[in-house]
Amino acid sequence: MDGAPIGGAPIGDTPIGDTHSAGSVESLYPFIYSGTTDLSDVLGQACASTVAKVAEITDLRARICARDAARLSECARQAADRFDAGGRLLVFGNGGSATDAQAVASLFLHPGGAVPPLPAFSLAGDTAVVTALANDIGVEVIFARQIAAFGRPADIALGLSTSGNSANLLTAFDEASRRGLMTIGLAGYDGGKMAELDSLDYLFVAPSSSIHRIQEAQTTTYHVFWELTVAEVGRRRRTT
Amino acid sequence: MRPGQQAPQAGSIDPAGSGAVAAFGRRIAATSELAERAGAIAAAAHAMAVRFHQGGKLVAFGTGPASTDAQHVAVEFVHPVIVGKRALPAICLTCDVATITAVAAETGLAEIFAHQVDRLALPADIAIGISADGNCPAVLGGLRVARARGMLTVALVGGDGGAIAATGVADHLLAGASGDPRIVKEIHVTTYHVLWELVHVFFEQPGVLGPGIVA
Repeated sequence: MDGAPIGGAPIGDTPIGDTHSAGSVESLYPFIYSGTTDLSDVLGQACASTVAKVAEITDLRARICARDAARLSECARQAADRFDAGGRLLVFGNGGSATDAQAVASLFLHPGGAVPPLPAFSLAGDTAVVTALANDIGVEVIFARQIAAFGRPADIALGLSTSGNSANLLTAFDEASRRGLMTIGLAGYDGGKMAELDSLDYLFVAPSSSIHRIQEAQTTTYHVFWELTVAEVGRRRRTT
Repeated sequence: MRPGQQAPQAGSIDPAGSGAVAAFGRRIAATSELAERAGAIAAAAHAMAVRFHQGGKLVAFGTGPASTDAQHVAVEFVHPVIVGKRALPAICLTCDVATITAVAAETGLAEIFAHQVDRLALPADIAIGISADGNCPAVLGGLRVARARGMLTVALVGGDGGAIAATGVADHLLAGASGDPRIVKEIHVTTYHVLWELVHVFFEQPGVLGPGIVA
């Protein structure tokens, strides 16, 4: 069962299709749509819906773990190779995924405590560059242009999308791959167009059609990726 | 398919990904615990819906990783990913780098949100402060000013809630049950997604909101 309850096609990071209808909303919150105005009834519905969502995200993470744990470990080792070679992590995404891009970059660059910081930056945070590219050329070149400007062959390009269809991510992965960067994609649904790319070294899909659950699962995926990468970097530094 | 998409090579370290399995496993208990806080989340969402209904706006803030969550909360309300859901007014106090660095340099980091809340927010508004350990001085300062101004105060914290819980500055305290700031963040993401959704659920049932000014 999928968690996104409210009807209508998601916009922004546009998914392929919409699996939610107004009918599914009414089944989730029957009191609300039956005309009652009793607050305790509505609060009870809200609680039941939250409990269901917690079960969904728990199940989604378990499925990702079962499917991708080994590949995540392998990906982290390759990322450690890149950091060892002087590479940096370039992270990008649109909308809510832009905030994830910043979170990933900051997590690597300033994890806090005794954890070694690793060079990383977000391509979504510079308002001047992002708006200049959007205004002068178009949103499709955001990220690809910055990768062309900053990217070095030893670097890692990590892009996050819930749909897997964001045009500027697809272009950015192609640009990154052409320049020899390691490329990692996080997507939802069935991976969308990102699943068809030849330019992606690793694609991690959160198999859900709820944008919210996808984002929650992706947060875990990049936290685990970071944890494995810094552990690998630390292990190598201790043994050399 | 490029090399990385293939199965790991034999002989590589941890080919089964046991480290990743362990890391995923550490999320489970704290995530499940969130279900026990469903009532607190629903109550917070209802109070937020009442404020929106009365014409209030949402003001979100946090430092470090939580600053990105504050931005996420704001974009969630202003530009919902679900077509047909109304845009609700929300601003994030972490994006104005000029003001933040100016306040931090002149007065101190603890004042960066308090300063903005005091000038940009109104008593009808909602403050959401996010701090994984509940001890962020800047978030605490922002919530203090918000509460003094009569705003609804919501805090997303973790563990024992730290100073934010101890000072009772939040009308609604929603804590992720973990001492790992990464796991707390993951719980926060689910929490504010649910808050957004429930605000709209309550919004579609104006009978539970009392008299309002939003048409």
